[in-house]
Amino acid sequence: MFEQYVKDYNEAIIETDKEAAIAVVEEAISNGVTPEEVVFKIVMPAVEDMMQLVIDNLDTNLAQHFMTAQIAAEITEKMLAQFSAPPEIIGKAVIGSSFGDLHSLGKRIVMGCLKSMMVDVIDLGVNITAVDFVDAAVEHDAQVIAVSSMMMHTATGEEGSLQIRELLHERGLEKKIKLIVGGSPFRYDKELYTSVGADNWAPDGISAAKIICQLIHEVKAS
Amino acid sequence: MTPLEILVAALTGQAAPRIPVFCNFLDYGPGELNMTPKEYFSRGEYMAEGQLKLLKRYGHDNAWCMSYVGIEAEILGCQEILFPKKGAPNVKDFVIKSWDDIEKLTIPEDISQHPHWQTTADCLSILSQEIGTTNPICAYASSSNTLPILLMGMEKWMELVLMGPKDLREELMRKCSDFCQQQVKAFRKAGAHIILYATSFGTPYFISKKMIAEWAVPWMKNDLQGDAGGIVYYCGGAPMNEVVDTVMKEVGIGAYYISPLDDLAEAKKIINSNGLTCAAIDDIKMVHWTVEQTRAEVKRLIEIGKPGGHFLFGSSLMPLELPEENIVAMIEAAFKYGRQ
Repeated sequence: MFEQYVKDYNEAIIETDKEAAIAVVEEAISNGVTPEEVVFKIVMPAVEDMMQLVIDNLDTNLAQHFMTAQIAAEITEKMLAQFSAPPEIIGKAVIGSSFGDLHSLGKRIVMGCLKSMMVDVIDLGVNITAVDFVDAAVEHDAQVIAVSSMMMHTATGEEGSLQIRELLHERGLEKKIKLIVGGSPFRYDKELYTSVGADNWAPDGISAAKIICQLIHEVKAS
Repeated sequence: MTPLEILVAALTGQAAPRIPVFCNFLDYGPGELNMTPKEYFSRGEYMAEGQLKLLKRYGHDNAWCMSYVGIEAEILGCQEILFPKKGAPNVKDFVIKSWDDIEKLTIPEDISQHPHWQTTADCLSILSQEIGTTNPICAYASSSNTLPILLMGMEKWMELVLMGPKDLREELMRKCSDFCQQQVKAFRKAGAHIILYATSFGTPYFISKKMIAEWAVPWMKNDLQGDAGGIVYYCGGAPMNEVVDTVMKEVGIGAYYISPLDDLAEAKKIINSNGLTCAAIDDIKMVHWTVEQTRAEVKRLIEIGKPGGHFLFGSSLMPLELPEENIVAMIEAAFKYGRQ
């Protein structure tokens, strides 16, 4: 029966059918599945499956990424309130769109996935200065700064990631806080992230969540 | 032959001395006139002067009568545009802040009479007088599925498309399609030869092919009202190969601005001599290429696309970070390898 819930939930995600996904979870809960099992054995694996589809370059689209993240975030939030004990948070990330950039879809996908993966993610919003990114990361004790840029001038501009790198360097924070970038320009030039001083990059929101988790583990291990 | 005749020859498959060479110098005008983007885009005369200077400097084929995409939102009530020191302006104030605003949204009866249309109209008028009989003049129009992004932001639009009430989504599409129809008509009337038809949801990178066929395509047909003359299909640089065949058959669009992320050989095979294959060089990678790498990539693209004709070489969005020597090398190589 449990395998059927997993299968039905995954199908709903692929079909971008939020109502069907929620119905599967409600049925599972009413039949005795615990909120912890919903998050860790249904929702999180579905996010990881989508990540694998993206990594394997199989046929997925932005709508599926968006819905995977959106549904995962909503269900996780609902289930967390019903957990028997608070879950272990694996780490923290601050996220925002770079200075001069008002695009917000990419970071919403990343945030949705991160929430279901037990990462505490702080949304700084859009058009964020480098100083605000670094100050927020320090204030929240975050291991990762994630910067979304949808235009070339905001991706490579001196007031964006380049300045964040400078600030991390000046304040001696480079081992404690990692910098990841994402957004359209980085998809066209896979080496572009190095020229803006980032530690890593992701071609889409789903992959970004996975890489952020890796960066958190790196910081914690060092 | 003039550049305009060369373009017509490429579209119709007639003999020409070379392929058309397009450059999208959308962000370069302000620098050409030593102005900030805000100052530059405030007057159609400046925009036309910038395009004409760029045409003279680089010798490519086309000019643009485009200010910035947010102008469409301004015509529909947007109160604030974020002008960067350099680069493309952004919509800062969304006209649709809640779903209730969709009902309130009104499309002007004649957008060509709207004050925000005036800069584009002035620019187009000057370009038509100066180069209208010799060079292709390009305009930009958001499709019905793309205009909502400027009105409510991509995040909220995606939410409405995928999770919102269908009747509300369709109401917004209808209004945006009305706007698109008017804009295409106004551009044609004022002398634009090419209209870049931007369709963000016309790519399988965004939504499923099924949804494109069942939802986006019928609205595209409505946008264009059976007349796809001069229309170039453009997905904001996202891949489109998988839907070209459907769009060609269903909507009748004959020219496709292929993404650098698409396989150009595959695109050429799909479009064949039934339309114009426009190859876009990856000018984000070009920022860090050498002159030799730039020339080699132009040569590679043209060698794929030129056989059989019906082919155009072009830039993508040309970021301001491009080294001058690479721009020059790109255009020189396009002329050299594009000779028939």
